[in-house]
Amino acid sequence: MTDKKDDLLQGTLDLLILKSLARGPMHGYGVAEWIHESSQDVLRVEEGALYPALHRLELRGLLSAEWGVSDNNRRAKFYALTTAGKKQLMQEAEYWHRMSGAIARILQTA
Amino acid sequence: MANRWLGKVWQRIRATSRPDQLNRDLDDELAFHLAQRTAKNRAAGMNAAAAGYAAQRQLGNITDVKERTREVLILTSLESLWRDFTYALRALRKKPGFTIVAIATLALGIGASTAIFSVIENVLIEPFPYPGADRFMTVEIHDANNVDAAGRAEYSSPEFLDYIEKNHVFDLAIADASEDVLYQVGGGMERLHGILCTPNTFEFFGLPALYGRVSEPADYEPGAPPTFILGYKAWKSHFGGDPSIIGETFILNGTARTLIGIMPRRFGWGSGDVFLPVKPTRAEQAYVAGEFPPVWYLMGHLKPGVTVNQAQADLSVIANQLAKIYPKSYPPRFVVKIVSATDMVVGNFRTTLTLTLGAVALLLLISCANLANLMLARATTREKEFAVRSALGASRWRLVRQLLVESLILSVCGGAIGVGIAALGLNSIVALIPPITIPAETEISLNFPVLAFALTVAMFTPMIFGLVPALRAARNDLERPLRDSGKGTSSGTVGQGRFRDAVIVCEVALSFTLLVGAGLLMRSFVALRGVSLGLRADHVLVTRLPLPSERYQTAAQLVSFYRPLLTRLKSLPGVVDVAESSALPPYGGFPSDVEVSGAVHAEKWSALFQLCSERFFSVLHIQLRDGRFFDETEVADARKVAVINETFAQRYFDRVNPIGRRIRVSDLANFPDKVDDPWFEVVGVVSDVRNKGLQEPVAPEVWLPYTLTGSGQRGVLVRTANDPMSLMDSLRREVWAVDRSVALSYTGTMENYIHLQSYAGPQFGFVLMTIFAIVGLALVSIGVYSVVAYATARRTHEIGIRMALGATRTDALKLVLGMGLRVISVGVAIGLIASLALSRVLASQLWQTSAYDPLTICGVAILLLAIGVAACVVPARRATSIEPTLALRHE
Repeated sequence: MTDKKDDLLQGTLDLLILKSLARGPMHGYGVAEWIHESSQDVLRVEEGALYPALHRLELRGLLSAEWGVSDNNRRAKFYALTTAGKKQLMQEAEYWHRMSGAIARILQTA
Repeated sequence: MANRWLGKVWQRIRATSRPDQLNRDLDDELAFHLAQRTAKNRAAGMNAAAAGYAAQRQLGNITDVKERTREVLILTSLESLWRDFTYALRALRKKPGFTIVAIATLALGIGASTAIFSVIENVLIEPFPYPGADRFMTVEIHDANNVDAAGRAEYSSPEFLDYIEKNHVFDLAIADASEDVLYQVGGGMERLHGILCTPNTFEFFGLPALYGRVSEPADYEPGAPPTFILGYKAWKSHFGGDPSIIGETFILNGTARTLIGIMPRRFGWGSGDVFLPVKPTRAEQAYVAGEFPPVWYLMGHLKPGVTVNQAQADLSVIANQLAKIYPKSYPPRFVVKIVSATDMVVGNFRTTLTLTLGAVALLLLISCANLANLMLARATTREKEFAVRSALGASRWRLVRQLLVESLILSVCGGAIGVGIAALGLNSIVALIPPITIPAETEISLNFPVLAFALTVAMFTPMIFGLVPALRAARNDLERPLRDSGKGTSSGTVGQGRFRDAVIVCEVALSFTLLVGAGLLMRSFVALRGVSLGLRADHVLVTRLPLPSERYQTAAQLVSFYRPLLTRLKSLPGVVDVAESSALPPYGGFPSDVEVSGAVHAEKWSALFQLCSERFFSVLHIQLRDGRFFDETEVADARKVAVINETFAQRYFDRVNPIGRRIRVSDLANFPDKVDDPWFEVVGVVSDVRNKGLQEPVAPEVWLPYTLTGSGQRGVLVRTANDPMSLMDSLRREVWAVDRSVALSYTGTMENYIHLQSYAGPQFGFVLMTIFAIVGLALVSIGVYSVVAYATARRTHEIGIRMALGATRTDALKLVLGMGLRVISVGVAIGLIASLALSRVLASQLWQTSAYDPLTICGVAILLLAIGVAACVVPARRATSIEPTLALRHE
C-alpha cells in the first residue's frame, strides 16, 4: 500500500515540478516556494524528495539544467522545461483532470 | 546549434567520469537552498542560529538527500541504457537479413585478414628470436659476370678462419657446418641432423638454454671432454622430453658425448637436432678422414654503426687475399655481397608475403566498405523513424546513444565471431605451410596487435556509419522526411546513391584484382605440375643411408654394404625393382668439369654426375634413347662406363654419335676415395631428367657405376607393387640386418620428396591467394546483393506505377538487372586497369604464365558479371512478382 502511495506521490510531485517550471526557468528553492504559495499553503513539498525528483526529471530529458546567478547574486542551478517536458506536462495534466473529474463524480453520487 | 549540443554531450561524458564534480555540484545546490531558506527565516524574525537549524530541519537529513539524489542518477542512467539495449536488440531482430549479413561481413573481414596477417608478421617481420638478428650477415662470393646467380656462401676451414680473424666489421662471427650424426638407440641407428658450432656460437645467438647450460669456451678446446647440446624438437621426439637426462652420456657417431644443455623451442638454428662444439684449425686435411671436408657457413654480427657497404669493402680486401691462395675457389672476377640472415632465409617467400599483405589490406577494406554501405542503406530507411522520434522530444543525445548501442551489439558479435574465425583460420594455414619454406624458429600464433588493429577498424566502421540517421535528425530537417510518403525518402539523395554505387564499384574492382591474382597463380602452379620430370615417380620408396665414416671409406667397404642390401630388398615380396643412387631427382648430383676425347673447346665444359646401380634407370622408368644401360657385371667390376643424357649428347657431342666415345669426369680425381684416370666410355644415352629443379633447364648429366668410389652419400630406391609406405618397416629391418650401425634418413615416397622440393612452395602461395579471392568474392556478393535488394525495395512503389502504366514483368526485370550490372561493369572495367598495373608485381612468382594472361582475365570478368547477375536474381524476382495494385499502396 505504501508503494502505491509513494508512486502516486512521486507522480504528483513530478507534475507539480513540471507545472512550476512552465512559467520559466527556476532553481530548486524557487520551485519549492512556488508550490507552497500557489497551493495557498495547502501543499508542502517534502524538500528532501524535491532534489532527487528534479535530478530524475533532468536525466529523463524532461528538464534541462544550467548553472546561473540568482537574484541575490548567488550561484544556483536553474531548471527549465524541455520540449519533451512540456509535452509530458500537458499529458500528465490532462490525465489528472480526467482522473480527478471522474473521482469527483463518483464521490458525488450518494 | 551543433556546438551547444556537442557541449552538452561533452558535459555528460565528463560528468560520468568525474564523480567529485557531481558531488560538489550537488553540495552547492543544496547549500544554496539552505542559504535561501535561512535568509527567509531570518527575515521572518528568527535569529541566525535558529534560522539555520529550521532550514536544515525542513530540508531533512542532508546526507540522506544527497544519497537519494545520487541513487537516482545511477538508476536512471542504467535504466535508460538498458532500455536502449533492449530496443536495439529488437530493432536488429526485426531485420534479421541485415543483422546476419552485417555480422557475417564484419566477422569474415576481421577473421581472414587477422589470420593471414599473423602468418606474415611472424614469418616476414620477426622470424628470428635472437637479439640483434637484424644485423646478422652472411658473406657471399658472386661471379662478377653473373652477379644475380646464387653466390658461394660455403667456405673451407682456413678460409673462414681468415674471414673471422681479419675482418674489422663484425664484433662476433661464427660458422656452422652440417653433419650426419648417427645415434644408437634401441635396436638400431637413428640419424640426427648435427650442427658443428664454432666458439661463441651461443653467445652470438644470445638465447640461454632451457635446461642445463650452453657451450662455454672451455668446451671447444681440442682436449676438452666431448659434450653436446640438444635442440628442442629432437629432445621431444627422440629423447622423450625428459629434463633429467642432462649430464648423461650418449653415443653419437661412435663417440660418447655428455649432454650439457637443452635449447628452448625458438632456438631452431639450422634446423639442428644436436649441436657439437668444434674449434676448427687451419689444417687442410679432411676433418674426418675418408669423408668430404665440412663446408662452413659464415655468419657475422655487424658492429653498431657499420654499414653494409663498409662491411662489403672490408671483406672484399680479405677475399682478394684469399683468392690468391685458393684460386680455384674464386671466379677470376668476383664481387663480395653481404646479405642479411633474414633475407637469406626468407628470400623468395618475401615477395609472396608482401603480396599477401597487400591482399589483406584490400580484404579489410572491402569488408569495411560493405559494412558502410549496409549501414548507410539502413540509415535511409530509418530517417523517418528518427525524425518522428525527434519531433516527439527525444534528445539528439538519446538517439545517438541508441544507435551507438546498436552498432556496439553488431561490433561485439561480429568481433567475437571474427576472432573465432581468425584462430581457426590460423591453424589451417599453419598446417598448409610446407615445412622447409620457413625458418624453424618461427612461431606462428595469433598476433594481438594485428587483431586489435583489425577489430578497431572493423568496429568503428559500424559506429561511424550508423550515426548517420541521428546526425541527419540533428540537422533539424524534420519536415522533409515527415512529409514524404513511403517509409522515408525514395533512394536517399542522389549524392547518397552515388556514394553507394562508388563503394560497390571499388569493391568489385578490388575483388577483380584479387581474383586475377589467384587465377594467375593457379595457372602457374598447374603449369609447374605439368612439367615433365622425365621419369615416373609413383610407387617408389626412397631413403638416404648415411654410413658411419670410420668403417665405410673405400669402394670395397661401400659395396660390402650395398650389394647384399640390394639383393635382400629385391627378394622382398611386393618389391618390383631396387637401385642404389647418390642423388634424387629433381636435383642431380655432383658438379664436375668434363672433357670429351678428341674435342677442342675454349670455354669450360661442366656437367652433373651421379653414381648409381644398373637398375636405376628401370626403377624410375627413364627412357633409353641410344645404346644401352650398364649391366650387372660392369657395375660389379667397377668398369669405367658411363651413361649420358640427351643434353650432354647434344651440347658436347653435337652431331657425333657419342656411343663408344670417351669422356673424362675430372672431379672424381678429387674425391676423398679418389678415382685415378677418370676417363669413361659412353655406352648409352637417356632422355633428359630434371636435375636442377623443375624450373631450370636440364643440365648435362652423366651416370656412373656406384662401385667406383666409397665417397659420397648414397641411398636406395625401391619400386613397389603396392603402396610404397607399407614396405617401410621391412626396409628398415633389412638395412639393419646388413649393418646395425646404419641410420635411415629422408625416408618416404619419391612423389612426396618431389612435392616438398618443388611444388609445396608455389602451392602454398596459390592456395593462400585463392582463399583470399574467395573470401573477397563472398564479401562482394553480399555487398552487391544487399545494395541491389535495398534499392529495389525502395523503388517498389515506382515499379508498381510503371507496371500499372503498362510496363511488363520483363521490363521490371531489366530495370533491376540493369541496376546491378551497371555497377558491376564499371567495377570490372576499373578492376581490369588496376590488375593490369599490379600484374607486374606478380610476374616474378609466375612460371610459364604471362602476367597479362587473357584467359584468366576474361574468366574473372565473366565470373564477376555472373555473380552480379546472381546477386540480382532474388531482388529481380521480387520485383517482377509485384502486383501493381499492392505496390501502389505500398508505403
